[in-house]
Amino acid sequence: MKDDINLWFSINQFYTREARYLDDLEFDQWIGLMAPDLRYWMPIVSNRIGRGIGSELTERGHLAHFEDDFESMSNRVKRLATGRAWAETPPGRTNHMVSNVEVTGQDDAGVHVTSKFLIYRSHMETDQEVFSGTRKDVLRSDQETEWKIADRTIILDHAVLTQKSLGIFF
Amino acid sequence: MLDKGEHPHFDHLIDLTKGEINRSIFSDPDIYQRELKQIFARCWLFLGHTSQLPNENDFFTAYMGEDPVIVTRHSDGQIGAFLNMCRHRGNRVCRADSGNQRMFTCPFHGWTFANNGNLKTVPGYKQVYHEKLDMESHGLVPVAQIDTYKGMIFATFDVSAPSLEDYLGDMAWYLDMAIDRRDGGIEFLPGTHKWRINCNWKFPVDNFVGDSYHGPVSHGSAWESGFEGMPRRKKGYGYEGFQINAGGGHGFGARWAENEEQVYEMALPEFLAYEQERFPETHARLGDLRGMHLSPMHCSIFPNFSMLWQSGNMRVWHPRGVSETEGWSWCFVDKKADPDHRDMVRIHDLQRHGTSGTWEQDDVDNWVQSTLSSRGYVGRQFTQNISMGVEHEIEDPTTIHPDMRGRVAGFQNEINQRQLYAQWARMMNGDAPVVPGATA
Ligand code: FES
Ligand SMILES: [Fe+2]
Repeated sequence: MKDDINLWFSINQFYTREARYLDDLEFDQWIGLMAPDLRYWMPIVSNRIGRGIGSELTERGHLAHFEDDFESMSNRVKRLATGRAWAETPPGRTNHMVSNVEVTGQDDAGVHVTSKFLIYRSHMETDQEVFSGTRKDVLRSDQETEWKIADRTIILDHAVLTQKSLGIFF
Repeated sequence: MLDKGEHPHFDHLIDLTKGEINRSIFSDPDIYQRELKQIFARCWLFLGHTSQLPNENDFFTAYMGEDPVIVTRHSDGQIGAFLNMCRHRGNRVCRADSGNQRMFTCPFHGWTFANNGNLKTVPGYKQVYHEKLDMESHGLVPVAQIDTYKGMIFATFDVSAPSLEDYLGDMAWYLDMAIDRRDGGIEFLPGTHKWRINCNWKFPVDNFVGDSYHGPVSHGSAWESGFEGMPRRKKGYGYEGFQINAGGGHGFGARWAENEEQVYEMALPEFLAYEQERFPETHARLGDLRGMHLSPMHCSIFPNFSMLWQSGNMRVWHPRGVSETEGWSWCFVDKKADPDHRDMVRIHDLQRHGTSGTWEQDDVDNWVQSTLSSRGYVGRQFTQNISMGVEHEIEDPTTIHPDMRGRVAGFQNEINQRQLYAQWARMMNGDAPVVPGATA
């Protein structure tokens, strides 16, 4: 158990650095934290009652907010650098807050980590957006960047997004 | 007073000969309130697809204008749609987005309705209502008419509205290119993108009905970074394509392929194999014009349904106040499509369109900006321009192809926007909706 604190500290530092890359618009650095076989997935949440409770999230093969791999995420990053990604011109100002970091397991795939995020985005004059949710990651240790994100599932709390688009990264 | 058949109130806002419209239609709260009545309570509105209700007692919730509705498949197989509004104090009787239920119990005092709308039980019916409440007339309010066209569910609150078939007119015939190109038609994948945009609802409808002009500028960034979204075509063969107006404010834009080979030349690489597989069947079902020449891309059906044919994407734009819209977007595939093709369509669609779409994000931003500019008093004194190609409609579309229906113009022409606003004015001027049973 005691050794876990080093693991936990390392992952926390990693997430803090990742958040800084995103907030400072250092997207090339950010994509550098992703494994080449990345799965980046954000299912859709909806409201269920009664027997439907438990099936709020769309499954693999259903429509999702994000269903991306390393190539498409790299392309999303490239798009932002074209200077013609109008929804991010000028870029929004974000703060990615990551907390409640919990190591939930380790296996051949890597270290399984659950965390919570709260992201505030301010754009143009008075646009403001708040994103809250959960991330479930599989992290792989890496010589160069300490960790690489191999698998990220993002569960955004909003059933109807109050944000006009999902132009940021999570 | 409004004269029936004449349009004294709204025609002056729309000048079709000059191609100019008054910006107040995007910002005036009174006009918006009238739209809820004259357009959203009268028109046939798209609710969803029958594949979303595969089983008895399945339901999903939707909106007709700002009115929430429940769409159900009753145990007798019938599809119905009802105001999601308890007849007691008006609570929503269903708070889920979808599910399977035979009864809906109101969370306020417990009135319970069957999924065909009938009021079944009222707590204290004997003791406190003394059996005086007329159960029969207090069921959930049904839509006035509900119908499907090849799986597409539409409804209207106006009993005097024309039939769905008449309402869609030639658009239904063109719609077959998306929903009836293979045996079995289409189905919706589970999952709906839902998101709020601070824009007037007409901007996205306008964009989808006929704006083939904005692509290179608005979507340049997506295009050049690997998110190609539409068929490429080589220069120098046949027509570039057409804007086709099917009447009733419905319209779409399509590329033109001269022959089968050009159909494949225009296919996105990831879809080529599937295009080759499905082409002979589509061609046999729909003939030359619909099954080969026309390669449709963007579309709106009046008032608030839109589609991106190539990407397997359908959506509605729910009005949420004069400067707020809620987009609901689905991914559809041919029922016959194999799992690999389904994966490709879904991923293609969601990486371009809907909430995180690399195309959509920039569209959304445009609509927000256009909405904002219609709020200032001075800005509103200057018209919005929809004049592109105003005198360049094709006089006789059957010279392009004998089967061609509707009014047709070149691919870069705002004919569809002009007809959209013409229909808007017609509906705004016309009679009030006849909502059966309404007493207020
Ligand atoms: S409001 Fe529905 S039972 Fe009273
Ligand atoms: Fe667009």
